[in-house]
Amino acid sequence: MEINELPANGATVLQLSGRLDGTTSATTDAKLADVVGRNPTLILDLATLDYVSSAGLRVLLKAAKQAQTAKQKLLLAGLQPAVKQVFEISGFSTLFAIFASREDALASLR
Amino acid sequence: MLTFAEELLLLAHDEKSGGFANIQDLLMNTALAGAVLMDLAILNRIDTDLSTLVTLDRTPTGEKLLDYGLTELAALPAKTSTIDALDLLRKHGATFEQMAIARLIERGILREQGGRILWVFETRRYPLIDGKELQEVKRRIADLLLSDDIPDSRDVVIIALAQACGLLRRVFSESELRDAQKRIDQIAKLDLIGQAMSDMMSELSAALTRLLPYS
Repeated sequence: MEINELPANGATVLQLSGRLDGTTSATTDAKLADVVGRNPTLILDLATLDYVSSAGLRVLLKAAKQAQTAKQKLLLAGLQPAVKQVFEISGFSTLFAIFASREDALASLR
Repeated sequence: MLTFAEELLLLAHDEKSGGFANIQDLLMNTALAGAVLMDLAILNRIDTDLSTLVTLDRTPTGEKLLDYGLTELAALPAKTSTIDALDLLRKHGATFEQMAIARLIERGILREQGGRILWVFETRRYPLIDGKELQEVKRRIADLLLSDDIPDSRDVVIIALAQACGLLRRVFSESELRDAQKRIDQIAKLDLIGQAMSDMMSELSAALTRLLPYS
């Protein structure tokens, strides 16, 4: 699991790559807690995220709650089909604004 | 912090009789199995996805009930299906229930009271000591369902469990429940173990209904 912070105007963009599961959830959770609230918008670019498990969903749920408390927008972008399927079946797709790509998410802020 | 099995039993507790709501054993045992798995997931001992369950760590949690479940799970391969794990643990439902009651007594939430019916049959009642913890669980559920707040993981689990066992009617009136149904469904769905548990309970209920006319 790799987490890279990408430069963007007015938003924090984190690119998550690999697998978000029980073995990587703690580091992802710590990184998200660190960036939530830093900018008015947080974009998670999931285009290179191959897999998300229950533990990963809990990390994202916690981030969504923290963002709501901090009155921050949390946008997701570029979900791969396998991750999208998990989001749809679990109903997580109703919790987030989801965009086809990072560029689309950034464009929605203009 | 209470385990989900303890919270489930508190929600099922009947103050008047000192007993627990009459939920079919098959369903209650499945809910208790789900409760144990959901605690183990939050404590990062297991992880799940849409179909599989993986044991990540067999280190004891320090809660007897959860450690019993974790030990029993070792009978399955480290990577198995969530349904197989539920099926295995639900066979230990009565043990989970007794362990959860014992823990609630140990925590000073319930007390045990023996008695006899018709001077012959021994009975056990478990009156609440002050009801504070039960009110806290009910308040958490009510606050969440009556708001648009994003739930935390523990809230999702308790709503999934209460919904699956029909215990939300102990928190809300019928009309409140009808109004909140969409939100209840939305929240309960957020937990993948909760979904598997709920599917299993529906199948068990359907199987029971099919069997009843011939029993």
